[in-house]
Order: sequence, then C-alpha cells, then structure tokens
Amino acid sequence: MSRSRSPEELVKERMERIEKAIDLKEPDRVPLFIFTCGDVLRKYAKGYELYFNYDKTCEASIRFASEFPVDSLGVVTAAEGFVFSLAFADYPDIAPSIRFWSGPMHDALLDRYTRWPGRELPEDSILQFIGGQFMNVEEYGRLSDDPISFINEVILPRSCLNLEKPGSAKANASLIRLGVEASRFLKFLGDLAVGLAKVGIPSLPLTFAYAPLDFIGDFLRYPTGALLDVRRYPDRVKQACEALVNPIIKIGLSLKPAGAKYAFIPLHLNEYLSPKLYSEFYWPTLRKIIEMLYDQGIKSLVFFEGWHDIHLETILDLPRGWGVAYFEKTDVRKAKKILEGHTCIMGGIPPSMLLQETPDKIKEYVRSLLEEMKPGGGFILAPGVADIPKETPSENIKALIEAVEEYGRY
Amino acid sequence: MPSLDELIDAFIELDEERVLSLVEKLVVEVPPPDILEACRKATVVIGERFEKGEYFLSELVYAGEIFRRIMDIVLPRLREEVKPVATIVLGTVEGDIHDIGKNIFKAFAEAAGFKVIDLGVDTSPERFVEAVRNYNPEIVGMSGLLTIAIESMRRVVEALKQAGLRDRVKIIIGGGRVDEYARRYTGADEWADNAMVGVRKCKQMLGLEG
Repeated sequence: MSRSRSPEELVKERMERIEKAIDLKEPDRVPLFIFTCGDVLRKYAKGYELYFNYDKTCEASIRFASEFPVDSLGVVTAAEGFVFSLAFADYPDIAPSIRFWSGPMHDALLDRYTRWPGRELPEDSILQFIGGQFMNVEEYGRLSDDPISFINEVILPRSCLNLEKPGSAKANASLIRLGVEASRFLKFLGDLAVGLAKVGIPSLPLTFAYAPLDFIGDFLRYPTGALLDVRRYPDRVKQACEALVNPIIKIGLSLKPAGAKYAFIPLHLNEYLSPKLYSEFYWPTLRKIIEMLYDQGIKSLVFFEGWHDIHLETILDLPRGWGVAYFEKTDVRKAKKILEGHTCIMGGIPPSMLLQETPDKIKEYVRSLLEEMKPGGGFILAPGVADIPKETPSENIKALIEAVEEYGRY
Repeated sequence: MPSLDELIDAFIELDEERVLSLVEKLVVEVPPPDILEACRKATVVIGERFEKGEYFLSELVYAGEIFRRIMDIVLPRLREEVKPVATIVLGTVEGDIHDIGKNIFKAFAEAAGFKVIDLGVDTSPERFVEAVRNYNPEIVGMSGLLTIAIESMRRVVEALKQAGLRDRVKIIIGGGRVDEYARRYTGADEWADNAMVGVRKCKQMLGLEG
C-alpha cells in the first residue's frame, strides 16, 4: 500500500498518525516509533564512526530507515549533555545545540561525564554516560542561589579537563572548538531530518527539558549521592530542585521559535524512589516544568525509565493531553487502565524480545498487545530508549513492522 | 550495653545515625562475626520489605551505604575471615562500564555472607574464565546496564563452556534491562533486575534458605 506513496505523502501520513495518537485520538493505525542511541545502527557502521563521523551516522540512519520503515525514527548518537545546555540557559541560540553531547564535543572539552568508542572505549563499542560527583554537599547553597553561575564557575572547570583553568588560552580555545562542533552537530541534525524525510520518515520537532533531581544525580552528585542526600540533607535538595526549574524551562522554550512542539524529558531516578520520596523530591518540580511548558504550547515526551508502576497515578495530576508517557518496563496495559483518555501511552516492546524471539512469536506478541492497547487510540508502539541490540535478527525487526501493519489498523 | 536486636531494628528502619552509634558501642565487647550476623538478619528483612513493595531502590542504596559504614568499623577488628556461605565472581561485562547495580548487589551479597570477587567493569570473557579457574566460585554474576551487555553476557557463558567450566558454576545475570528473554539468549541459569532478587536467587540456586 505504502509503496505507491511519494516520500512527502508518507511523511505527512506518518506524522498525522503520530500526532493523532498524541492528541488521544484513533489514527488510521497504531504508529510505530523506534529510538536508537546507535547500537542497532552498528549493523551499518562501526560504533566509533557513528559517534564521530556525522556523515556516516546520517548514512547508517537512512539505511536503517529504508530497510525498516517505521513511523518515526529517533536517532540520538550523542550523550546526555544537559549540564552544558544549563550552563548556557540564558542564551537560547546556544543552549539547545549542546543539549546532546557528541563525540567531537567530548574531544573539545574532554568532559568526565562520558566515555566514547575509539577514545576511552574500544572502537566498535557504544557511547556511555557515566556521570560523576562534581559537587560537595556543602555547595547546595551556591547551587540554589544561582544555578547557572555555579555550573559555569564551579562545575564545568571540575568536570571538563580542558576547562580546568577558566579564562586560560586552553579553556577559551576549547569553548571555540565546542562552538564549531555545535554548529556542525546542528547541521547534522538538519541533514538527518532531510535524509529521513527523503525516504518517507518524519522526525518529531523536539525541544528538551529535565527533571531537577535527575540533574543533580546525573551531573552533580552521582545518582547514589543524590539518593543519599535526599535522606541526609532533604531541605537542601528540595531548595536546589526548585532553583533549577526556571533555567530548565528556559532551555525547553529555546527551540519554540524554531517550531519545536515536544519537550523530550528522559527520567532516571523515578524508579529508585518510594512514592513518598517521589512525591516529595521528584514530582513537584518535574510537574511544574511539564505544566509550564504545556501552558506555552509545548507538550512533553517523558521517558519513564525502568519501572514506573507505583507512580502511575501521579501522571493524572497533569492536564489531560499534556503529552506522551513513554514507558520502558512498566506494563503499558496497566498504564492504559489508569491513563486512558488522559495521556498518550508509548512503549510495549522489550528490546530483548526482539533479540531473542522468533518472527512468529513477535507477531503474536504484538497481536495480543494491540488487541488491548489499540481501542480508543492514544497509543504509540515502541521499544524503550534502551537500544535494539545490533545482533537482533533483521527478520525480527521486520516482523515487528509487519505485525503493526497487520494488527494495528483501526 | 545495647543488644544486637536493637542494631537489627535500627538497620531495618534505616536509622543511619543510630546504627553507627550502636555499632561503635557493640564492637567493644561483641565479637565482630556476631555483628555481621546481625547485619545479615537485618538485610534479609530489608530484602523482604523490598520484594513486598514497602522498600524501593532508594532504600536499598541507603541500606548498602549504611552497611558499608558498619563494615568500616567492624572489618579492622575482624581477626580471622568468617567462612563464607559461597563465593561469587562478579563483574560488569565487556563493553559496559556502569557499576551502580553491581555495587548494590555486591553489598547485599556480602551482607548475606557471600564472598564476592569483584572484577570491576568492562570485564572480558577471558577474565571471567580466569577468575573461575583461580577462585573456584559456586556462582558467576554478570552485571550490565546497556543492551549491548546482553551480547557480552552470552559470550562469557560461551567462553566458560569452551573452557569446560560451565557445569561447575551457576550463572546469574543482572541489570536494569535484563529479563527472561535475555536469560534465554545468554544461556545463564537465572536473572534479576534488582539486587535483592539477585541475592535471593543466588541462595536458591545453591539450595540455601531463600
């Protein structure tokens, strides 16, 4: 059917399919979204090439999209770089361009947050975000007083080897190199969107936000450090989370003039927290960010990492149609029972199943899942942001695409 | 002189300051192995609370930290090694350098009386094989956060087979993205996506109490 359509028509058709689902309606069929951080793209290029050679990444992504035509393909061959965005939150022309941290950006600043194939890791590996502890508990006050200055003046010199001496020739040269890389990366993102559109695949117009407690865990105190701080210094943590809301909103709005419609927010500590800690330390500020962006016309695409089951009800605090709840291990059937008619649900496919099962079993899994998830709309089928492994047999990914075509029609 | 039961209660309730002050007092008169046994009892209850959904990962991280601080006080006074219930060779597999999950598992495995040989992160199949030869463990534990780790886990099982060691050990894989599909793909005996279930399954594989 789709073979007769032009790429432009396909882009339009697929985008409408996704947007209808996000608007809690029934599209013509359930959309299928695949997100990759590079693992599955290693079918076409070495890990090293994917992260350091933008042309190769473009080529590999387009080959993947041609071989496996899904409704949208999210390619993020870059690491968490939200700390760099936050440092430049007052500069909307710069902040969003360094939100995703590419290999050459790592080369420019030599940050300690990330490890890269062909650098710290073997050439055909995938990039890894490790984070670290770059702030002492005594410094929560400075963070809360002025987060942007604190990140620039204290954290970046500690977390980036090349910024160790702010104002030095080396630090200044490194920042210029970062600027050059940021514009190359933006060009890459543009080329990628155009390239994918040429094979009929739309890209979601994204902007970015972050949960404040995750920011503290990922970039300042290390996840376990943040969790211990919640116990030992609860007031300091709460205050800092509050102080981070405004800079994060600024970043979220920075791409609005360029047409961004969805703020991607990947969560990390959500599954670590008890309902009590979640509702006290994590949710209030995240909720505020989602609601403030929504008021400005930006819906959120929140990736609820791991198990989010015990916190599902809190999503109902948000206004109906606020955005997309993208689940990893949470049973989407269970989520639907709670969120139907309120929140678009995304997820449902364990990447390990695509790796291990046969095409028939995968089709049967999708059939049975869609039987429950399809009625009423508001559902996007997707594996989690945890990547589809490179070793996944191609016929298994094809089976997934065929299954949604076969069983996903309304 | 406080009692060991008080210590067990304070540990279960994650009252960090109270635990440490109790251990400081207890360690003067109570043999260190008895204190470790009290910790073991406490972590069993913490594990039960976790599996019942009363405790969450943040509580496990905190319990692991409290246990580490107890060990800092008790270990220097331990004159001879306590006989472990069994030995686990543990590592994050090749291509993956994340260690939060591995370290939580290690803390609870040690609290449960296991001796843990920690090979660190990015551990090659060859290093797992060599460690199995050298330490003769009952269990091999492989950890990994990324989906790339599943392939590495499969290669470790394969390498142990090639070396003729597969049947001498039980193998458990662990990590946030590990599941029954991953277990079947890798050829491991068990899987766990959290540390408490991991420790319980290690005991079960050896026929020890759950």
